[in-house]
Amino acid sequence: MSEALGRVVATERKPNTPHEFHFWTAIDSPVGIGTIVRVDGAQPIEGQIPHIYGIVVEGFSYTDLQSPMHDVLGHDGSPTAAGFASTERAEIRLYTAAVLRQIPEEPLQPVPMGQVFLAEEEDVQVALRMDSYLRDGANTGIPIGVYRAGGTDAVIYLDADFLLGPEAAHLNITGVSGLATKTSAVEWLLASLFKHFPDEKGSIAAVCFNVKGPDLCYLDQPGKIEGSDEILYEKLGVEPRPFESVEYFAPYTAKGLVLNTFRNNEALLDNVTPLTWGLREVLQFAEVLLNKDDVDAKADALIDFIKENIVDREFSDPLLQKKHTVQSFADLDAWFRDVLQGMEKKDGDSWRTHHVATIRKVRNRLSNISTRCAGLVTDTGNVSDLPFGSFADRTVYVVDVANLEEDAQDLIFARIVSKLREHLERRDLGVKHLVVFVDELNKYAPGDGPDTYVRKMLLDIAERGRYLGLVLFGAQQFRSQVHRRVVGNSGTGLFGRMDPDELSTPGYAVLSPATRTKLATLEKGQLMIRHPHFTQPIFVRFPRPAVMQGREGSERYPQSSEISLEAAILRVLRPLDSTITLPWVQEITALYTPDEVIRARNATLLARPENVKAYFAAQFRKVIPAQPAQRPMVGSIKSAPENDPYGF
Amino acid sequence: MMVSNSGPDAASRAALRSLMQRLPGMSAVEGGSIEPTMSSDPPLLRSAKIVEGSSLRVVTVPDFTRHTVSGFGAFLDGTQQVRLVAHHFGMPVVFGTVAAGVRIRVSRRLITWGHQPPRVERKIYLPLRYLPPLAEIRGPSREMASGNWEIVDTSTADKEGEYPSQHPAVLQERATRAVDRERDRVEDSLAEAWCARAEAPLYIDGGISRSERVASSSCAIGVIKSHRTLYFDGHEVSKVLGLRKGERTSVFRVSPRSRNSVLSWYLRLRDGAGRDAMWGLVRVEVAESDRPAERAEEVSRWVLAETTPLSLPDGRWDKMAYGVRDCEEFLRAIS
Repeated sequence: MSEALGRVVATERKPNTPHEFHFWTAIDSPVGIGTIVRVDGAQPIEGQIPHIYGIVVEGFSYTDLQSPMHDVLGHDGSPTAAGFASTERAEIRLYTAAVLRQIPEEPLQPVPMGQVFLAEEEDVQVALRMDSYLRDGANTGIPIGVYRAGGTDAVIYLDADFLLGPEAAHLNITGVSGLATKTSAVEWLLASLFKHFPDEKGSIAAVCFNVKGPDLCYLDQPGKIEGSDEILYEKLGVEPRPFESVEYFAPYTAKGLVLNTFRNNEALLDNVTPLTWGLREVLQFAEVLLNKDDVDAKADALIDFIKENIVDREFSDPLLQKKHTVQSFADLDAWFRDVLQGMEKKDGDSWRTHHVATIRKVRNRLSNISTRCAGLVTDTGNVSDLPFGSFADRTVYVVDVANLEEDAQDLIFARIVSKLREHLERRDLGVKHLVVFVDELNKYAPGDGPDTYVRKMLLDIAERGRYLGLVLFGAQQFRSQVHRRVVGNSGTGLFGRMDPDELSTPGYAVLSPATRTKLATLEKGQLMIRHPHFTQPIFVRFPRPAVMQGREGSERYPQSSEISLEAAILRVLRPLDSTITLPWVQEITALYTPDEVIRARNATLLARPENVKAYFAAQFRKVIPAQPAQRPMVGSIKSAPENDPYGF
Repeated sequence: MMVSNSGPDAASRAALRSLMQRLPGMSAVEGGSIEPTMSSDPPLLRSAKIVEGSSLRVVTVPDFTRHTVSGFGAFLDGTQQVRLVAHHFGMPVVFGTVAAGVRIRVSRRLITWGHQPPRVERKIYLPLRYLPPLAEIRGPSREMASGNWEIVDTSTADKEGEYPSQHPAVLQERATRAVDRERDRVEDSLAEAWCARAEAPLYIDGGISRSERVASSSCAIGVIKSHRTLYFDGHEVSKVLGLRKGERTSVFRVSPRSRNSVLSWYLRLRDGAGRDAMWGLVRVEVAESDRPAERAEEVSRWVLAETTPLSLPDGRWDKMAYGVRDCEEFLRAIS
């Protein structure tokens, strides 16, 4: 048993309560804010010596000096003279601790006087109630970090039942930008989850939306870790390796030649899949892109009509010149053109109760989508999507939307989450549990502002996702600006270094001033954790993720700039067939327009045929080789017409 | 020396209850603190033999700067609490607690001396001659015994065989003087224990002449803050009271009748301008020395070095070393 490092004290002015107590220590004791301690009571209660576990939330230091003036007088106003005094004043280190747990738990009494000990690893497990899920047979502990104090290194575990459901779920991370806390913490936690998530609870995967920077773009590449991190990895039972299975998805740039992602370097393209959607996929989520000012009830009715009766169906009408089967934006535009021309011919104001102005407006808005989301939405209707239905266990799916316009980001987020939800409801996603990581919740689920489709989706996940196995890992810089129901439904909260302004908001009033100050000065790799089993926040260290950091990755694998059409085709086809060369591509595509070439590329990528060359070439329409046209024989005018006004 | 007038603690209350069982008719007294007896001692002027030179001189302590390192390794002080807790038809029942402790200095911080634990003794002072015999306690009450409360008779005959009068004030004063003697005894026992080990110079709050072993030890230095007895008279008193900060008198020998002979000198610790004549004035006592002047200079530098940090908020801060205040605070906490 270790030596006592303090004694509980209580005065009438500063009494102990069942939830808080005070103790003093030697000046050189290793106690600090966040240290977990154990109090051994002196008197047994119902035959049992009480043990109280607490975490230090405040510290005080003072001497027997009654007034600062006395010190000034004592040293003749010279600070340097103070160093020569024969004796240091008597000094106290007085700490306030918040109770984590009392044993026995009943009767709940004020903390008794007693000796205070530094909590050892077993004490930490009991104090944080981790013993309930680390016992034999439970085993749902997910290591999140190491608690360190005074030589004690204790692994802190989250309860998988409370992190991924069904008991509680969701995780929220807050911290200032630029310290790599939020992204690093998620990368580390996913690695720990994939390693320690119990097999009997089923499969697990993660979908990460990369909304800014390249940090999530190199999860499959090894990163630099230091010796101290290796020790942490060993302690936490996780191998310091990058993720074994990562799939990337990104739309094309507006020109459609290269993928619009930081990870479009040729050396890394083997697990990057284009993300392209057609009319059908987009129309399902038209309301994401069309705000309510644009789309009134009349326009909404027309869009519904199009969705129900036009898209993917053969449609004919006496007004129209021909039958239409609308499968792409191009088809839809042709249909609109036909309808409007028909109405003009009949000089009518409405067609099937839809006013011509409404039709023109909807045409304008829908046609505009393919422009606003160029690179993601294809005119042709080709679809390249996440592998809904065949998600793989312990795989990370990164959707890179960092370089997209806000509309496109919203569309991608809304559709992917909806599809994930649909599949999880049907239990056919491919995995039983899915973590969705979204950064910048300030932006996507703000506490104020318009009620957007994306915010509704996030609220829905936060409130009902855990029943489906759909878990939200959200991150933001300012937690106070995120919708209360999103953060409120997060069972687990992680806090990195915080902005002092943010800490001054009411949401942090429950923390002691010392804890808030510590939060404002946390080092890299340190977190404060709130978890349903922990009655007070706990500070831990976590290792640097064993993946390549964004900055290093973008230096080692520079992002490709726009390249020639032929080079872009070669780049995507060569992984499918290594015999394809640039001259071959140039020869095949020489006679065709860029749109035709891109369409052929997309079709080939989607089909992934065995004979890539043949398939790609077959996508082009037959073009008769150009031959020089023969000059037509022009006969001389034999005689001028009789009524030739210019004749002479 | 500290006199505490705080209210009865749990042990005192238990002892009082037990006493009331043994002495029916006793009436408890609220807040019966008793002032120390020193206030009743008359101020005296007394002569002394000068051993440094032939006449009393004023000497500036040489080589004292703010960088001077004190040679003291420890501080000794005692405390006493005297309370009139009850009376039996006017006969005073007094509780006395005395304590003493040595605080040693390690790395500029003061901690309790490990070789001799601090002493805390509690006694009940009763004029047994004027009280009915104490009844035996019936039942399980053993509180007096468990609290180590010893009974001291304050009505015994003096050297001439005369018993004190039944006047409550006389009996109360007898009790107070008995407590004083107890405090002197526990202080002396600790000082003797320290001198036996001779670890480092010990700063004793008060004189050192009571104990022969202490008075003859080179590691015991007494610093006296009160001056009910002033040595010298006439213009020599003026020299003493006219000392300026950092000045001392010549060394003289103090030889009280019932005590041991020691060397002594006056020393002004703080500038007394605008204050009373005794402000910052202490008298230092050391054992006999072959080179009294050098010894006085050395010890004076140490005592001056102990003037920081200030022992405020104690009212005697002008003369009290911080180490002595630390002793008193420590004893207050444990007694």
